[in-house]
Amino acid sequence: MSAKLLFAGIDEPGLNTLEVYRRRGGYESLAKALAMTPEEVLSQLEASGLRGRGGAGFQMGKKVSFLPKGSIDKYLVCNADESEPGTFKDRELMQKTPHLLIEGLVIAAFAAGASRSFIYIRGEYVLQADLLDAALAEARAAGYVGENILGSGFSLSLIVHRGAGAYICGEETGLLDSLEGKRGNPRLKPPFPANEGLYKGPTLINNVETLATVPTIIRMGGEAYAKIGTETSTGTKLVSVSGHVRKPGNYEIELGIPSREIIYDLAGGPPEGRSVKCWFPGGSSAPVLGGDELDVPYDFDSLAKAGSMLGSGAIIVVDDSTPILDVALKVAKFYRHESCGKCTPCREGTSWTVEMLERIDRGEATPMDLEIMASVQDHIIGNCLCVLGDAMAMPIGSMIVKFKDEFEAQMVQRHVDAPQAAGAVAP
Amino acid sequence: MPRPEQNTITLTIDGREVQAPENSMLVDAAKLGDVEIPVFCYEPKLGGPVGACRMCLVEIEGIPKLQTGCSTPVKDGMVVNTQSERVKTAQEAVVEFLLINHPLDCPVCDKGGECPLQDITFGWGGGISRFVDPKRHFVKPLELSPTIAIDRERCILCYRCVRFSQDVAEDNQLVLLERGAHSFVSTFDGHPYVAPFSGNIVDLCPVGALTSRPYRFRARPWDIEDAGSVCTLCPAQCNVTLTVRDERVLRVQARDHPEVDDGWLCDRGRFAYPALGGSGNGAEGGARITEPLLRDGGELRVVSWERALTEAASALKRAGDRSAGIVGGGATGEEGLLLARLLREGLGSANVDSRSAGTLALSIHHALSDPRLQATVSDLEFAHAVLVLEADPISDAPILDLRLRKGVRRHGMKLLQASVADLRERPAELAAELGQAGQEIVILWAERLTAGPDGEGNARALLELAESLALEKVTGAGLLEIPAGANGRGLREAGVLPNAAAGLRESRETGLDTQGIAAALAEGELSALLLFEADLLQAVSPELAERALERATTVVAHATFLTDALRAHASVVLPAQAYAEKEGTIVHPDGRLQRLRPAVAHPGETRAGWQVITELAARLELDLEVLTASMASRQLFDAVPFYAGLTLDEIGGRGIRWQDRPAAGAYRAEVPA
Repeated sequence: MSAKLLFAGIDEPGLNTLEVYRRRGGYESLAKALAMTPEEVLSQLEASGLRGRGGAGFQMGKKVSFLPKGSIDKYLVCNADESEPGTFKDRELMQKTPHLLIEGLVIAAFAAGASRSFIYIRGEYVLQADLLDAALAEARAAGYVGENILGSGFSLSLIVHRGAGAYICGEETGLLDSLEGKRGNPRLKPPFPANEGLYKGPTLINNVETLATVPTIIRMGGEAYAKIGTETSTGTKLVSVSGHVRKPGNYEIELGIPSREIIYDLAGGPPEGRSVKCWFPGGSSAPVLGGDELDVPYDFDSLAKAGSMLGSGAIIVVDDSTPILDVALKVAKFYRHESCGKCTPCREGTSWTVEMLERIDRGEATPMDLEIMASVQDHIIGNCLCVLGDAMAMPIGSMIVKFKDEFEAQMVQRHVDAPQAAGAVAP
Repeated sequence: MPRPEQNTITLTIDGREVQAPENSMLVDAAKLGDVEIPVFCYEPKLGGPVGACRMCLVEIEGIPKLQTGCSTPVKDGMVVNTQSERVKTAQEAVVEFLLINHPLDCPVCDKGGECPLQDITFGWGGGISRFVDPKRHFVKPLELSPTIAIDRERCILCYRCVRFSQDVAEDNQLVLLERGAHSFVSTFDGHPYVAPFSGNIVDLCPVGALTSRPYRFRARPWDIEDAGSVCTLCPAQCNVTLTVRDERVLRVQARDHPEVDDGWLCDRGRFAYPALGGSGNGAEGGARITEPLLRDGGELRVVSWERALTEAASALKRAGDRSAGIVGGGATGEEGLLLARLLREGLGSANVDSRSAGTLALSIHHALSDPRLQATVSDLEFAHAVLVLEADPISDAPILDLRLRKGVRRHGMKLLQASVADLRERPAELAAELGQAGQEIVILWAERLTAGPDGEGNARALLELAESLALEKVTGAGLLEIPAGANGRGLREAGVLPNAAAGLRESRETGLDTQGIAAALAEGELSALLLFEADLLQAVSPELAERALERATTVVAHATFLTDALRAHASVVLPAQAYAEKEGTIVHPDGRLQRLRPAVAHPGETRAGWQVITELAARLELDLEVLTASMASRQLFDAVPFYAGLTLDEIGGRGIRWQDRPAAGAYRAEVPA
């Protein structure tokens, strides 16, 4: 069930202010961390087993350790673009406890040896950006950010940068280009940002939730933190549950609990008389799982084994009242709109997929289209410059496999329903 | 930054062992093993790989996902497979994706037959399209600029053109608008793409999206022949390929030479070719002269060669040593040598010049052209610092501007600019600033530095600066002069100077330089002037030129175009060849001898320059002993000691720097007093 680490006292009024945050023990972890060496902080992070909460699930401590050592200028960028459909956990964190993010970010920067940092926040998060700016001003005034933090000799600049609204700017290298003032297009990797990131400097990029977890790890100790959750998915996770559930919202869970508990016990399950048709375990780019796969433990490896992914931790529930075609079309249209256009399979593949789905919708498709659509998804997966193409092809591909019969039935149904096919004359 | 060192490694591609430079990109390494990996967006001239088109996906052992060969540096022991089913499927898929929105109307596309997309579709595509929906549509074709048409429907969004504009020419005009499948290449607010190097995007485009408006629909690849030559419109001497159809040049394309042009071409070189063609008597103004003209009753009238040559020869003979010759920068070394012989041996006049900057002491010529002090074009790119001295590369030798940008952008070269005043007033400061960057320093200077009464002093100051930086002792450092004329260096070396014989040897007699010739003509001290592809109005002040031409008894002009001055003052006009018709050699500013090769036949009655001079000499009882173009070249190579033993074959299609040959030892290096 729920376990409160990040969300402990989250609804306390005024937690977004330094006063309340400090009363609840805020910035104590920072003081503790600054008393250690960066290597010691890093070893705590590594011991915690914390995996990135943004989507890829890469070990955070390892990512920090990839940064070159030495006194070169290093950057830390917090990815607060939270653009994956269905994901709204970072919004709540930044809105209600912005200091937790700032504290975590400063500790991570200390461990990584970064001297400049940025929070890239999506443009739509106006309130959250305002609150973050206010919190940052307080933190700066109190000496938690800036020159010689808490007298430790460690200095860090921090700037909150508001994005202009593109899904691709949540992709780490697209984010870097956007932050540099360019068109937000993903970059070719390698070089990875750890070696050549922002302004060609070594850069650590972490999600809001990942960084917000850092103070907890320092407080508890890495090894104690690693005892929460499963062996390979340690800790707690914020899960945004949306779609056909009675109590949508953010829930903090211990990783490894059955997914059913999240959807039914925490979020209240689908409305009366309906059942789960399928669900996205980790945002709209995760392959869908069926209503018969609700007992999969909610952690990185179990979901991967089930053929999907934990992604950003956004569960979107689709109940049996919704045709799968409509779900597929909605997802595909989103990715077509958001494809940056840089690489061929994504640019052309997303747009072709939408056209085929629209043809089914208009009642003009043939069963062959389903095969072509499936092969187009195969041709996209793994062949793109970044993961955006896969982000459409994986869920669409999974829908075609899992709901082939329904697709075929809908092809026939929509053909019959189409006015021109039925021979109907417009009134 | 000095040139990187390269190790050779061995990798396996499709079962065969291939030796390649370590860290070269896999697509390049594969070529060394005769394996072609198809690419669209990859073009190393544009900078690092971008991995956008995904055409070059290949399998590398030990890496689960397919990798883009364009962005994978090769390592020793790497095992690559470009022929597996998986690779084939991925490459076919990319071709299919690219063709979704690309019109399949190759027969009416101007690129058809020389189109990489067409070739790769045949080579690596699946052969059928499963796409039945409507294609993306744009209004087309549009004028991207007065010289370039853009067809956005054909565009496969490889971004080569945008990258060229942003990362090579740095004019930052081309951008990508919209996103996803709606992306398109454009300029800000649809303004025309007007920039000095815009035409290169036509060469770069792998499809028919960007086409040259002057060439569009003029020919099909099977109608044309390509002829390699060298552009002589400026001293940069870019290597070009001339597209010829029915004895007319229809297009000029870059012919990549890393030591000369880096594969780029300026718009002047690319689009000026219509002026090369045509025929006529020049009467309509601006048109090519292709028949000999003789002034008769105040008017220039078409006459036979025989008549024109006889009249010219007798007029020159009358003038004797009161005649003078000026050779323009477009002339070949052979033409320069023969013309100087005609003046010196045939008329007994030492008044011959190819520079307009005034006479420089021979010792200074020697010092400035000293082989130890000569930088190459690629030195500009890898130098620690480059000083651009009294030069404006974008107008003096445009292509060097791109090389300087490349040096700064890719190799962190430090670029300084200085005027002659800086050189004279604060040389120590300049030296200090340059020295801070490192030892490999190139000074790129223009001939105008040595012009005027202070010319010699300026040249000495330049040599002192070079000495204080020890440029002659450092590899990759040196001087690089941009002469005023395209073949300025070659003409000097051929002895077209008032104070030097061929090979920059001392001449028996010192004559008047260009300024002196004009002044003497204006004063009536000289009476005949031979203008060999030279425009006096550009060499000296217009007033002096006007007075000189007015006063001259005889003006014999060997020219391609009839200028107003010639129309008013020429006694005899002999039609000259344009560079596409010429055969001979020219010398690049860094000492590289390059061959001009005739791409088209002579229009009208035009004859080769060496032939005209030889026939004129014969009428002055001087046998120049030249019967063919190659005999003229042989004579030049024999006349210049540091060209000794050179043959046309040795120069070949890529040229050769005489400083890199053993005969360079024959160069007389004299330190100026």
